[in-house]
Amino acid sequence: MPKILVIEDNPDSAELEKRVLAAKGYEVLEAPDAETGLQLAVDQHPDAIVLDLGLPDADGQTLVGWMRRVPALAHIPIIACTAWPEETARKMVEAYGCDGYIRKPISVATFAEQIAAYLRLAKTG
Amino acid sequence: MPVTDLPFQLAPASRFTIEQLTAAYNQTRVDYLVPMPMNAARLAEYIQHYDVDLERSAVALADEQMLGLGMLGVRPGCAWITRLGVLPGKRRRGVGWVLSQALLAAGDELGAERTILEVIKNNTPAYNLFLKHGFEVTRELVVLRRPPGPPAHPPPGEARALGRAEALARLAARPDPQSWITGTESLAHLEHLTGIQLVLPDGGRGWLVWQVQMFRGFPLLLSHLALRTEQGDPARVGNALLAHLYQQYPDLDTHTENFPAQDPHLPAFFDMGFMESFRRLEMHRLNRRGEHPT
Repeated sequence: MPKILVIEDNPDSAELEKRVLAAKGYEVLEAPDAETGLQLAVDQHPDAIVLDLGLPDADGQTLVGWMRRVPALAHIPIIACTAWPEETARKMVEAYGCDGYIRKPISVATFAEQIAAYLRLAKTG
Repeated sequence: MPVTDLPFQLAPASRFTIEQLTAAYNQTRVDYLVPMPMNAARLAEYIQHYDVDLERSAVALADEQMLGLGMLGVRPGCAWITRLGVLPGKRRRGVGWVLSQALLAAGDELGAERTILEVIKNNTPAYNLFLKHGFEVTRELVVLRRPPGPPAHPPPGEARALGRAEALARLAARPDPQSWITGTESLAHLEHLTGIQLVLPDGGRGWLVWQVQMFRGFPLLLSHLALRTEQGDPARVGNALLAHLYQQYPDLDTHTENFPAQDPHLPAFFDMGFMESFRRLEMHRLNRRGEHPT
């Protein structure tokens, strides 16, 4: 099953996302901050990254910009997870090169399917 | 003053470790639209950059549980309330009021003539709290971001790099009032401050100062941009200055805060690919020692 890296500093949100994805059989890697997330991405090459835009050590946007400059990470789908207003989230995600976004709070019913859809999209190009 | 049914005490923030303060701060913001979480290193840097006095900053405690906190930046004649927050489950019970009152009293004791602060626009509870304390809105401030992009192509002109000392001298000579974060006292704490000065063929002239934030020895982020047009059209001079910056650092993310919404350079930022993240309202209150507003 695909490997998903969840970069999320809020322990409750991280736990929820992890449980929902694990219940669908995904292998889930967790990082509570940008630095750990970057390290795990480099070491583990996940199939997709679910990224909180507000992280304690560097903003999610900065991290996306950084990852897109690393050739080995440039093509990994990154899905932003944010409570920002719809319009701001859309603008940020497009500008920074994320593959999409999911609004917080996530829907337990649809979250795993949303991630699956991004994975399918990445495969088909 | 609102009454509170919640028994709690105030303690100086200096009694706690940076890690404890960081955890409390993050918990107070957990449900914010723009939570801006921090780690301990980032909070320590914030305290140092913005002259936060932990002895005069306050933590609300009930049975050793932190209910909320507020910090006070202190500079000659002026105090700045920042990082004020209350745990989501303990709000609307007077904790924020008591914390902010304690910070105002601390500013008064120090002889500050005025206290300033910023609230995120549309954070109505915070805005109302400070209105009740006698604060008035002074202006709207814009927080901007620019994603990495292709290199910019500056127009012809004579550009000269500014070293840190020259950059600070220009910042100190700005005639317009600065927010706490963009003030020279704040920028003087930044380690990697640099800039350029530019003269355009039509006589337009100005300068731009910025900080390059490093991560593991690599440039990661541009921040704390400050610019001034000394002659000519600010949009044109601003555009040329920013083009020089993004010719040099096209692939760095940029985050820069607190440009007045009326700043004539803003169109140049938007032309250069900046986006508005959100707005803040700057508010101030003249303290007992200062003049009262008419």
